[in-house]
Amino acid sequence: MKESSLMLMQYVTAIAAIVLVTIHLLMQGVIVPYSTAIDFQQVLSVYKSWVDGAMLEVLLLVVVAHGFNGLRIILLELRQSASWTRNVNWASLIVTAAVMAYGTRTVILAVTGAVT
Amino acid sequence: MTAEKEALNRRGLRGWINPYHYGLERWAYTFQRITGLAMLLYVLGHIGDTSFFVGGPFGEGPSRSVWAADMAATQNLLGGIVLTLVVMVVVFHGINGVRLILSEYGLIFSKPSRPEYPYRAKSLRAVQRHMIWAAIVLALVAALWTGTILF
Repeated sequence: MKESSLMLMQYVTAIAAIVLVTIHLLMQGVIVPYSTAIDFQQVLSVYKSWVDGAMLEVLLLVVVAHGFNGLRIILLELRQSASWTRNVNWASLIVTAAVMAYGTRTVILAVTGAVT
Repeated sequence: MTAEKEALNRRGLRGWINPYHYGLERWAYTFQRITGLAMLLYVLGHIGDTSFFVGGPFGEGPSRSVWAADMAATQNLLGGIVLTLVVMVVVFHGINGVRLILSEYGLIFSKPSRPEYPYRAKSLRAVQRHMIWAAIVLALVAALWTGTILF
């Protein structure tokens, strides 16, 4: 992927993150009181709701992509060489995919798993 | 490239975490990176933390007891302080990030003109500076607001 495309992705995910994080924060203490927001039954109902659950999943993907691409940009800015660039690019791609997969697993299990 | 110029370009981490004697924009650049790294660290912790809703790394579904234990471990003074600081850096990073996007697309630059004493960068005046100060002030307001909710 070209660096210019990655930078455009960084800006698009930034705007998306601002919208989604604002909604997330408002739902975690302003619109819904904080003590209610962290209640087990309330969290479960958020995951089970199609709109709220999907929003959490998109928030996860957007924030992780933006965060690790940002870290990649910082690391490439600190040092320049072909091997460093290649290694940082691959490492960030692998770690991004792994963190996205782990977070997505939480969403899937919260929706489909049996409550204990 | 002269040795001096080369040295300036190779200051690495010390270069961007030491904005001393540079302008407000350079401080904003440093804080954008520090807040970005801090949030990435928090996001990793938060993804790990919320996974305890489904019993943690080896869980198989929503678990009341594991979630209760996780909440007992994180809902304390330290947890409240961390959340307050997170909201503060999120607001700064977000508003300063919007400034960076707008300036990247040339939307908040002044018209170019001849350099005049005291040679301050004209492109970085007015809206850009106001946005940096807005980011600082609103971050502090958001932190205070979060404090009133959590404590």
